[in-house]
Amino acid sequence: MTERELSIPPLPDTLLIVDDVEMNRAILAEIFKDACRIQEAENGREGLEKIRALGGRLCAVLLDVVMPQMDGLALLRILAAEGIPKRVPIFLITAETGDAVTREAYALGVMDLIYKPVVPYVVRRRVESVMELFRARERLGSQVERQKIEIAEQDKKIMSLSLGMVEALSTAIEFRSGESGSHVRRIHDITAFMLRKTPLGAGLSPFAIDQIALAAIMHDVGKIAIPDAILNKPGKLTAEEFEIMKTHTLQGGRLLERIPQMRAHEAFRYAYDIALHHHERWDGRGYPHGLKGDQISLPAQIVSLADVYDALVSKRVYKDAYSFEKALEIIREGGCGTFNPRLLEHFFAVEKQLRHLYKDAEKEGDGAL
Amino acid sequence: MTPAYKAALEAAGVDVADALARFMGSEALLEKYLRRFPEDPNYQALCQALGAGDAAGAFTAAHTLKGVCANLSLTRLLDPLSRQVECLRAGDLAGAAALAPETAAAYEDLRGLLRRWEG
Repeated sequence: MTERELSIPPLPDTLLIVDDVEMNRAILAEIFKDACRIQEAENGREGLEKIRALGGRLCAVLLDVVMPQMDGLALLRILAAEGIPKRVPIFLITAETGDAVTREAYALGVMDLIYKPVVPYVVRRRVESVMELFRARERLGSQVERQKIEIAEQDKKIMSLSLGMVEALSTAIEFRSGESGSHVRRIHDITAFMLRKTPLGAGLSPFAIDQIALAAIMHDVGKIAIPDAILNKPGKLTAEEFEIMKTHTLQGGRLLERIPQMRAHEAFRYAYDIALHHHERWDGRGYPHGLKGDQISLPAQIVSLADVYDALVSKRVYKDAYSFEKALEIIREGGCGTFNPRLLEHFFAVEKQLRHLYKDAEKEGDGAL
Repeated sequence: MTPAYKAALEAAGVDVADALARFMGSEALLEKYLRRFPEDPNYQALCQALGAGDAAGAFTAAHTLKGVCANLSLTRLLDPLSRQVECLRAGDLAGAAALAPETAAAYEDLRGLLRRWEG
Protein backbone atom coordinates (compact mmCIF):
# COMPACT_ATOMS: atom_id res chain seq x y z
CA MET A 1 0.00 0.00 0.00
CA THR A 2 1.40 3.41 -0.89
CA GLU A 3 1.74 6.23 1.60
CA ARG A 4 -0.89 8.21 -0.27
CA GLU A 5 -3.44 5.48 0.34
CA LEU A 6 -2.56 5.43 4.01
CA SER A 7 -2.77 9.25 3.99
CA ILE A 8 0.47 9.57 5.91
CA PRO A 9 2.10 12.84 4.92
CA PRO A 10 5.44 12.16 3.19
CA LEU A 11 8.58 12.90 5.17
CA PRO A 12 10.59 15.80 3.81
CA ASP A 13 13.76 13.86 3.01
CA THR A 14 14.87 15.08 -0.42
CA LEU A 15 17.27 17.91 -1.19
CA LEU A 16 17.04 19.48 -4.64
CA ILE A 17 20.14 20.96 -6.24
CA VAL A 18 19.45 23.34 -9.12
CA ASP A 19 22.64 24.31 -10.95
CA ASP A 20 23.61 24.23 -14.62
CA VAL A 21 27.23 23.22 -13.93
CA GLU A 22 27.57 19.51 -13.37
CA MET A 23 30.65 19.85 -11.16
CA ASN A 24 28.82 22.24 -8.86
CA ARG A 25 25.97 19.77 -8.49
CA ALA A 26 28.45 16.96 -7.84
CA ILE A 27 30.22 18.94 -5.11
CA LEU A 28 26.95 19.83 -3.37
CA ALA A 29 25.59 16.30 -3.75
CA GLU A 30 28.76 14.92 -2.19
CA ILE A 31 28.27 17.19 0.84
CA PHE A 32 24.73 15.94 1.54
CA LYS A 33 24.81 12.37 0.23
CA ASP A 34 24.78 10.91 3.77
CA ALA A 35 22.21 13.36 5.15
CA CYS A 36 19.32 13.06 2.71
CA ARG A 37 18.10 11.90 -0.67
CA ILE A 38 19.30 14.12 -3.48
CA GLN A 39 17.77 15.18 -6.77
CA GLU A 40 19.36 17.46 -9.32
CA ALA A 41 18.08 19.88 -11.94
CA GLU A 42 20.08 21.66 -14.65
CA ASN A 43 18.01 24.84 -14.87
CA GLY A 44 15.14 26.71 -13.30
CA ARG A 45 12.47 25.11 -15.44
CA GLU A 46 13.57 21.59 -14.60
CA GLY A 47 13.93 22.71 -10.98
CA LEU A 48 10.33 23.90 -10.91
CA GLU A 49 9.10 20.59 -12.34
CA LYS A 50 11.01 18.62 -9.70
CA ILE A 51 9.80 20.89 -6.88
CA ARG A 52 6.21 20.29 -7.95
CA ALA A 53 6.77 16.54 -8.31
CA LEU A 54 8.49 16.21 -4.93
CA GLY A 55 5.82 18.14 -3.02
CA GLY A 56 6.04 17.30 0.69
CA ARG A 57 9.19 15.21 0.18
CA LEU A 58 11.26 18.32 -0.46
CA CYS A 59 13.42 19.29 2.53
CA ALA A 60 15.53 22.09 0.99
CA VAL A 61 16.51 23.68 -2.33
CA LEU A 62 20.02 24.79 -3.26
CA LEU A 63 19.54 27.24 -6.10
CA ASP A 64 22.12 28.68 -8.49
CA VAL A 65 21.49 32.18 -9.86
CA VAL A 66 22.84 32.23 -13.41
CA MET A 67 21.36 29.41 -15.45
CA PRO A 68 19.97 28.96 -18.98
CA GLN A 69 16.24 28.37 -19.65
CA MET A 70 15.04 29.85 -16.36
CA ASP A 71 17.46 31.51 -13.97
CA GLY A 72 17.43 31.23 -10.19
CA LEU A 73 15.58 34.48 -9.55
CA ALA A 74 12.86 33.72 -12.10
CA LEU A 75 12.27 30.37 -10.39
CA LEU A 76 12.34 32.03 -7.00
CA ARG A 77 9.66 34.53 -8.02
CA ILE A 78 7.34 31.68 -9.02
CA LEU A 79 8.02 29.81 -5.77
CA ALA A 80 7.49 32.96 -3.68
CA ALA A 81 4.10 33.55 -5.31
CA GLU A 82 3.09 30.06 -4.15
CA GLY A 83 4.40 30.57 -0.60
CA ILE A 84 6.89 27.71 -0.95
CA PRO A 85 9.85 29.49 0.72
CA LYS A 86 7.78 29.53 3.93
CA ARG A 87 7.49 25.73 3.92
CA VAL A 88 10.82 24.72 2.40
CA PRO A 89 14.15 26.44 3.05
CA ILE A 90 15.73 27.76 -0.14
CA PHE A 91 19.43 28.62 -0.34
CA LEU A 92 20.82 30.78 -3.08
CA ILE A 93 24.22 29.77 -4.45
CA THR A 94 26.08 32.84 -5.61
CA ALA A 95 29.55 34.14 -6.20
CA GLU A 96 28.55 37.73 -5.49
CA THR A 97 27.98 39.41 -2.15
CA GLY A 98 25.52 42.18 -1.41
CA ASP A 99 24.37 42.83 -4.96
CA ALA A 100 20.86 43.55 -6.24
CA VAL A 101 20.28 39.83 -6.81
CA THR A 102 20.99 39.07 -3.18
CA ARG A 103 18.59 41.78 -2.04
CA GLU A 104 15.75 40.53 -4.22
CA ALA A 105 16.44 36.92 -3.23
CA TYR A 106 16.12 37.74 0.46
CA ALA A 107 12.96 39.73 -0.24
CA LEU A 108 11.54 36.65 -2.01
CA GLY A 109 12.10 34.52 1.07
CA VAL A 110 15.49 32.90 0.55
CA MET A 111 16.79 31.50 3.85
CA ASP A 112 20.48 32.06 3.34
CA LEU A 113 23.24 32.52 0.77
CA ILE A 114 25.89 29.98 -0.13
CA TYR A 115 29.00 31.54 -1.60
CA LYS A 116 30.97 29.98 -4.40
CA PRO A 117 33.39 28.33 -4.30
CA VAL A 118 31.60 26.44 -1.58
CA VAL A 119 33.24 25.50 1.71
CA PRO A 120 31.63 22.12 2.45
CA TYR A 121 31.60 22.10 6.25
CA VAL A 122 30.12 25.62 6.32
CA VAL A 123 27.47 24.76 3.74
CA ARG A 124 26.57 21.53 5.47
CA ARG A 125 26.28 23.17 8.87
CA ARG A 126 24.18 26.09 7.61
CA VAL A 127 21.81 24.03 5.52
CA GLU A 128 21.35 21.31 8.12
CA SER A 129 20.70 23.85 10.89
CA VAL A 130 17.95 25.44 8.85
CA MET A 131 16.47 22.07 7.84
CA GLU A 132 16.42 21.08 11.51
CA LEU A 133 14.71 24.36 12.35
CA PHE A 134 12.01 23.67 9.76
CA ARG A 135 11.59 20.09 11.00
CA ALA A 136 11.33 21.28 14.63
CA ARG A 137 8.76 23.88 13.63
CA GLU A 138 6.77 21.20 11.81
CA ARG A 139 6.97 18.86 14.82
CA LEU A 140 5.95 21.62 17.19
CA GLY A 141 3.03 22.53 14.96
CA SER A 142 1.70 18.98 14.89
CA GLN A 143 2.34 18.62 18.63
CA VAL A 144 0.19 21.68 19.32
CA GLU A 145 -2.52 20.24 17.06
CA ARG A 146 -2.39 16.93 18.90
CA GLN A 147 -2.56 18.66 22.27
CA LYS A 148 -5.55 20.71 21.14
CA ILE A 149 -7.37 17.47 20.30
CA GLU A 150 -6.35 15.93 23.63
CA ILE A 151 -7.58 18.95 25.56
CA ALA A 152 -10.90 18.87 23.71
CA GLU A 153 -11.25 15.17 24.57
CA GLN A 154 -10.43 15.79 28.22
CA ASP A 155 -12.94 18.62 28.19
CA LYS A 156 -15.61 16.23 26.97
CA LYS A 157 -14.67 13.71 29.67
CA ILE A 158 -14.86 16.38 32.39
CA MET A 159 -18.21 17.56 31.04
CA SER A 160 -19.63 14.05 31.05
CA LEU A 161 -18.17 13.43 34.51
CA SER A 162 -19.81 16.54 35.93
CA LEU A 163 -23.06 15.64 34.19
CA GLY A 164 -22.73 12.21 35.79
CA MET A 165 -22.17 13.75 39.23
CA VAL A 166 -25.17 16.03 38.86
CA GLU A 167 -27.31 13.11 37.74
CA ALA A 168 -26.03 10.91 40.57
CA LEU A 169 -26.87 13.54 43.18
CA SER A 170 -30.29 14.26 41.70
CA THR A 171 -31.10 10.59 41.28
CA ALA A 172 -30.05 9.83 44.86
CA ILE A 173 -32.44 12.51 46.09
CA GLU A 174 -35.17 11.16 43.85
CA PHE A 175 -34.66 7.64 45.17
CA ARG A 176 -35.53 8.91 48.63
CA SER A 177 -39.04 9.63 47.45
CA GLY A 178 -39.28 6.10 46.07
CA GLU A 179 -39.13 7.09 42.43
CA SER A 180 -37.36 5.13 39.75
CA GLY A 181 -34.46 7.49 39.13
CA SER A 182 -35.44 7.98 35.55
CA HIS A 183 -37.62 10.99 36.39
CA VAL A 184 -34.69 13.41 36.30
CA ARG A 185 -33.42 11.87 33.07
CA ARG A 186 -36.84 12.37 31.46
CA ILE A 187 -37.12 15.96 32.70
CA HIS A 188 -33.72 16.55 31.07
CA ASP A 189 -34.87 14.95 27.82
CA ILE A 190 -38.26 16.67 27.67
CA THR A 191 -36.70 20.08 28.38
CA ALA A 192 -34.04 19.57 25.73
CA PHE A 193 -36.65 18.32 23.24
CA MET A 194 -38.98 21.28 23.79
CA LEU A 195 -36.13 23.72 23.25
CA ARG A 196 -34.62 21.96 20.25
CA LYS A 197 -37.72 20.87 18.37
CA THR A 198 -40.26 23.62 19.02
CA PRO A 199 -40.09 27.40 18.44
CA LEU A 200 -39.70 27.84 22.21
CA GLY A 201 -35.94 27.44 21.84
CA ALA A 202 -35.63 30.19 19.20
CA GLY A 203 -32.62 32.39 19.88
CA LEU A 204 -30.92 29.92 22.21
CA SER A 205 -27.57 28.44 21.22
CA PRO A 206 -27.14 24.64 21.27
CA PHE A 207 -24.76 25.18 24.18
CA ALA A 208 -27.35 27.17 26.16
CA ILE A 209 -29.94 24.45 25.51
CA ASP A 210 -27.54 21.80 26.83
CA GLN A 211 -26.94 23.91 29.92
CA ILE A 212 -30.68 24.42 30.54
CA ALA A 213 -31.34 20.68 30.13
CA LEU A 214 -28.51 19.94 32.56
CA ALA A 215 -29.94 22.49 34.99
CA ALA A 216 -33.37 20.82 34.70
CA ILE A 217 -31.90 17.67 36.22
CA MET A 218 -31.35 19.59 39.45
CA HIS A 219 -34.86 21.01 39.78
CA ASP A 220 -35.68 18.93 42.88
CA VAL A 221 -32.33 18.93 44.73
CA GLY A 222 -34.03 20.88 47.53
CA LYS A 223 -35.97 17.73 48.41
CA ILE A 224 -32.87 16.56 50.26
CA ALA A 225 -33.98 18.93 53.04
CA ILE A 226 -37.52 17.50 53.25
CA PRO A 227 -38.10 14.85 55.95
CA ASP A 228 -38.76 11.28 54.77
CA ALA A 229 -42.13 11.24 56.52
CA ILE A 230 -43.41 14.00 54.26
CA LEU A 231 -41.51 13.03 51.13
CA ASN A 232 -42.67 9.42 51.25
CA LYS A 233 -46.14 9.92 52.67
CA PRO A 234 -48.48 7.76 50.62
CA GLY A 235 -51.61 9.83 51.18
CA LYS A 236 -52.50 13.49 50.88
CA LEU A 237 -50.27 15.94 52.76
CA THR A 238 -51.76 18.09 55.51
CA ALA A 239 -51.64 21.84 54.99
CA GLU A 240 -48.71 22.08 57.36
CA GLU A 241 -46.86 19.24 55.64
CA PHE A 242 -47.51 20.83 52.27
CA GLU A 243 -46.01 24.11 53.50
CA ILE A 244 -42.85 22.18 54.40
CA MET A 245 -42.91 20.33 51.09
CA LYS A 246 -43.12 23.66 49.23
CA THR A 247 -39.83 24.77 50.80
CA HIS A 248 -37.90 22.30 48.57
CA THR A 249 -37.81 25.07 45.97
CA LEU A 250 -36.11 27.58 48.29
CA GLN A 251 -33.90 24.85 49.76
CA GLY A 252 -32.83 23.85 46.25
CA GLY A 253 -31.77 27.38 45.40
CA ARG A 254 -29.95 27.73 48.70
CA LEU A 255 -28.14 24.40 48.23
CA LEU A 256 -26.97 25.23 44.73
CA GLU A 257 -25.82 28.66 45.86
CA ARG A 258 -23.58 27.17 48.49
CA ILE A 259 -21.54 24.97 46.15
CA PRO A 260 -18.79 27.24 44.82
CA GLN A 261 -18.08 24.97 41.84
CA MET A 262 -21.76 25.10 40.99
CA ARG A 263 -21.86 28.88 41.23
CA ALA A 264 -19.00 29.07 38.75
CA HIS A 265 -20.70 26.67 36.33
CA GLU A 266 -22.36 27.98 33.17
CA ALA A 267 -25.52 26.09 34.10
CA PHE A 268 -25.78 27.70 37.55
CA ARG A 269 -28.07 30.61 36.70
CA TYR A 270 -30.46 28.21 34.98
CA ALA A 271 -30.23 25.60 37.74
CA TYR A 272 -30.83 28.17 40.48
CA ASP A 273 -33.81 29.69 38.66
CA ILE A 274 -35.34 26.30 37.80
CA ALA A 275 -34.91 24.86 41.30
CA LEU A 276 -36.49 27.98 42.78
CA HIS A 277 -39.31 28.53 40.29
CA HIS A 278 -40.40 25.19 38.83
CA HIS A 279 -43.59 25.36 40.91
CA GLU A 280 -44.60 28.88 39.90
CA ARG A 281 -47.72 29.15 37.75
CA TRP A 282 -48.72 31.44 34.88
CA ASP A 283 -51.63 32.96 36.86
CA GLY A 284 -49.41 33.76 39.86
CA ARG A 285 -50.88 31.00 42.03
CA GLY A 286 -47.73 28.90 42.25
CA TYR A 287 -44.94 28.99 44.83
CA PRO A 288 -42.62 30.03 46.42
CA HIS A 289 -42.82 33.61 45.10
CA GLY A 290 -46.14 33.71 43.31
CA LEU A 291 -44.51 34.96 40.11
CA LYS A 292 -46.92 35.69 37.26
CA GLY A 293 -46.73 35.33 33.45
CA ASP A 294 -43.44 36.31 31.96
CA GLN A 295 -41.97 36.94 35.39
CA ILE A 296 -41.33 33.21 35.29
CA SER A 297 -38.44 32.37 33.00
CA LEU A 298 -39.10 30.13 30.01
CA PRO A 299 -36.77 27.35 31.26
CA ALA A 300 -38.59 27.29 34.62
CA GLN A 301 -41.95 27.19 32.78
CA ILE A 302 -40.88 24.29 30.60
CA VAL A 303 -39.54 22.32 33.56
CA SER A 304 -42.79 22.99 35.50
CA LEU A 305 -44.84 21.50 32.71
CA ALA A 306 -42.44 18.60 32.14
CA ASP A 307 -42.49 17.88 35.88
CA VAL A 308 -46.31 17.87 35.99
CA TYR A 309 -46.62 15.75 32.85
CA ASP A 310 -44.09 13.23 34.09
CA ALA A 311 -45.72 13.03 37.53
CA LEU A 312 -49.12 12.39 35.95
CA VAL A 313 -48.08 9.60 33.61
CA SER A 314 -45.83 7.92 36.21
CA LYS A 315 -46.73 5.94 39.29
CA ARG A 316 -45.96 7.80 42.51
CA VAL A 317 -46.22 6.87 46.19
CA TYR A 318 -49.39 8.93 46.40
CA LYS A 319 -50.99 7.95 43.06
CA ASP A 320 -51.13 5.52 40.15
CA ALA A 321 -50.00 6.38 36.64
CA TYR A 322 -52.55 8.11 34.40
CA SER A 323 -52.86 7.37 30.73
CA PHE A 324 -51.27 9.93 28.39
CA GLU A 325 -54.72 11.04 27.23
CA LYS A 326 -55.93 11.51 30.78
CA ALA A 327 -52.76 13.39 31.70
CA LEU A 328 -53.26 15.79 28.78
CA GLU A 329 -56.86 16.29 29.75
CA ILE A 330 -55.87 17.17 33.34
CA ILE A 331 -53.22 19.62 32.12
CA ARG A 332 -55.60 21.21 29.58
CA GLU A 333 -58.30 21.68 32.23
CA GLY A 334 -55.84 23.32 34.61
CA GLY A 335 -55.86 20.43 37.07
CA CYS A 336 -52.20 21.09 37.87
CA GLY A 337 -52.35 24.86 37.67
CA THR A 338 -52.30 27.32 34.83
CA PHE A 339 -49.57 27.29 32.21
CA ASN A 340 -48.50 29.74 29.53
CA PRO A 341 -50.92 29.14 26.60
CA ARG A 342 -48.08 29.39 24.08
CA LEU A 343 -46.09 26.81 26.01
CA LEU A 344 -49.11 24.46 26.09
CA GLU A 345 -49.73 24.91 22.39
CA HIS A 346 -46.17 23.81 21.51
CA PHE A 347 -46.24 21.06 24.11
CA PHE A 348 -49.47 19.52 22.80
CA ALA A 349 -48.09 19.68 19.27
CA VAL A 350 -45.12 17.45 20.10
CA GLU A 351 -46.37 15.48 23.12
CA LYS A 352 -46.88 12.24 21.18
CA GLN A 353 -43.15 12.21 20.40
CA LEU A 354 -42.37 12.29 24.11
CA ARG A 355 -44.25 9.08 24.82
CA HIS A 356 -41.46 6.81 23.67
CA LEU A 357 -39.45 8.00 26.68
CA TYR A 358 -41.85 5.95 28.75
CA LYS A 359 -42.01 2.93 26.49
CA ASP A 360 -38.28 2.56 26.85
CA ALA A 361 -38.40 3.30 30.56
CA GLU A 362 -37.09 -0.12 31.56
CA LYS A 363 -34.09 0.14 29.32
CA GLU A 364 -31.51 2.05 31.29
CA GLY A 365 -30.37 5.31 29.74
CA ASP A 366 -32.38 4.72 26.60
CA GLY A 367 -34.58 7.72 27.03
CA ALA A 368 -32.42 10.32 25.32
CA LEU A 369 -34.18 12.05 22.46
CA MET B 1 45.89 9.96 -6.57
CA THR B 2 49.59 9.21 -6.34
CA PRO B 3 51.88 11.42 -4.23
CA ALA B 4 53.81 12.27 -7.39
CA TYR B 5 50.65 13.49 -9.15
CA LYS B 6 49.69 15.51 -6.10
CA ALA B 7 53.17 17.05 -5.97
CA ALA B 8 52.99 17.93 -9.67
CA LEU B 9 49.59 19.57 -9.17
CA GLU B 10 50.90 21.54 -6.19
CA ALA B 11 53.88 22.67 -8.28
CA ALA B 12 51.45 23.88 -10.98
CA GLY B 13 49.66 26.04 -8.41
CA VAL B 14 46.77 23.71 -7.55
CA ASP B 15 45.81 23.84 -3.87
CA VAL B 16 45.14 20.10 -3.64
CA ALA B 17 44.20 20.07 0.06
CA ASP B 18 41.68 22.87 -0.44
CA ALA B 19 40.16 21.18 -3.50
CA LEU B 20 39.95 17.81 -1.75
CA ALA B 21 38.14 19.41 1.16
CA ARG B 22 35.60 20.82 -1.31
CA PHE B 23 35.01 17.33 -2.71
CA MET B 24 34.53 15.97 0.80
CA GLY B 25 37.90 14.22 0.65
CA SER B 26 36.95 12.24 -2.45
CA GLU B 27 40.09 11.94 -4.60
CA ALA B 28 38.13 10.07 -7.25
CA LEU B 29 35.69 12.93 -7.65
CA LEU B 30 38.45 15.55 -7.76
CA GLU B 31 40.42 13.54 -10.32
CA LYS B 32 37.35 13.13 -12.48
CA TYR B 33 36.77 16.86 -12.73
CA LEU B 34 40.49 17.65 -13.12
CA ARG B 35 40.57 15.23 -16.06
CA ARG B 36 37.62 16.99 -17.63
CA PHE B 37 39.07 20.46 -17.18
CA PRO B 38 40.95 20.62 -20.52
CA GLU B 39 37.67 19.84 -22.30
CA ASP B 40 35.82 22.73 -20.68
CA PRO B 41 34.64 24.91 -23.59
CA ASN B 42 34.70 28.15 -21.65
CA TYR B 43 38.38 28.91 -22.18
CA GLN B 44 38.00 28.71 -25.97
CA ALA B 45 34.82 30.75 -25.71
CA LEU B 46 36.62 33.43 -23.72
CA CYS B 47 39.46 33.67 -26.26
CA GLN B 48 37.02 33.89 -29.17
CA ALA B 49 34.83 36.52 -27.48
CA LEU B 50 37.86 38.66 -26.61
CA GLY B 51 39.08 38.35 -30.20
CA ALA B 52 35.66 39.36 -31.53
CA GLY B 53 35.29 42.25 -29.07
CA ASP B 54 32.21 40.58 -27.54
CA ALA B 55 32.28 41.94 -23.97
CA ALA B 56 29.11 40.19 -22.78
CA GLY B 57 30.17 36.83 -24.23
CA ALA B 58 33.65 37.24 -22.75
CA PHE B 59 32.20 38.01 -19.35
CA THR B 60 29.92 34.97 -19.32
CA ALA B 61 32.75 32.64 -20.39
CA ALA B 62 35.29 34.13 -17.99
CA HIS B 63 32.81 34.08 -15.13
CA THR B 64 31.90 30.43 -15.66
CA LEU B 65 35.53 29.40 -16.08
CA LYS B 66 36.42 31.27 -12.90
CA GLY B 67 33.78 29.22 -11.06
CA VAL B 68 35.30 25.98 -12.32
CA CYS B 69 38.84 27.08 -11.38
CA ALA B 70 37.67 28.11 -7.93
CA ASN B 71 36.01 24.73 -7.33
CA LEU B 72 39.18 22.91 -8.38
CA SER B 73 41.40 25.39 -6.46
CA LEU B 74 43.46 26.17 -9.59
CA THR B 75 44.95 29.18 -7.84
CA ARG B 76 47.59 30.16 -10.40
CA LEU B 77 45.00 30.35 -13.20
CA LEU B 78 42.36 31.81 -10.93
CA ASP B 79 44.41 34.93 -10.21
CA PRO B 80 44.65 36.47 -13.72
CA LEU B 81 41.22 35.09 -14.63
CA SER B 82 39.58 36.85 -11.67
CA ARG B 83 41.13 40.13 -12.70
CA GLN B 84 39.80 39.58 -16.24
CA VAL B 85 36.34 38.98 -14.86
CA GLU B 86 36.45 42.23 -12.92
CA CYS B 87 37.61 44.15 -16.02
CA LEU B 88 34.79 42.64 -18.06
CA ARG B 89 32.24 43.29 -15.33
CA ALA B 90 33.27 46.95 -15.53
CA GLY B 91 33.05 46.80 -19.34
CA ASP B 92 36.82 47.13 -19.77
CA LEU B 93 37.40 44.89 -22.78
CA ALA B 94 40.94 46.22 -23.43
CA GLY B 95 42.01 45.58 -19.84
CA ALA B 96 40.73 42.02 -20.08
CA ALA B 97 42.51 41.50 -23.38
CA ALA B 98 45.75 42.79 -21.87
CA LEU B 99 45.54 40.07 -19.20
CA ALA B 100 44.94 37.35 -21.79
CA PRO B 101 48.62 36.29 -22.19
CA GLU B 102 48.97 35.78 -18.42
CA THR B 103 45.81 33.69 -18.33
CA ALA B 104 46.90 31.77 -21.42
CA ALA B 105 50.28 30.88 -19.89
CA ALA B 106 48.72 29.56 -16.71
CA TYR B 107 46.04 27.73 -18.67
CA GLU B 108 48.45 26.02 -21.08
CA ASP B 109 50.75 25.00 -18.22
CA LEU B 110 47.93 23.39 -16.41
CA ARG B 111 46.44 21.75 -19.48
CA GLY B 112 49.82 20.24 -20.36
CA LEU B 113 50.17 18.85 -16.88
CA LEU B 114 46.68 17.39 -16.76
CA ARG B 115 47.08 15.80 -20.22
CA ARG B 116 50.37 14.22 -19.12
CA TRP B 117 48.77 12.65 -16.08
CA GLU B 118 45.62 11.63 -17.85
CA GLY B 119 44.68 7.99 -17.28
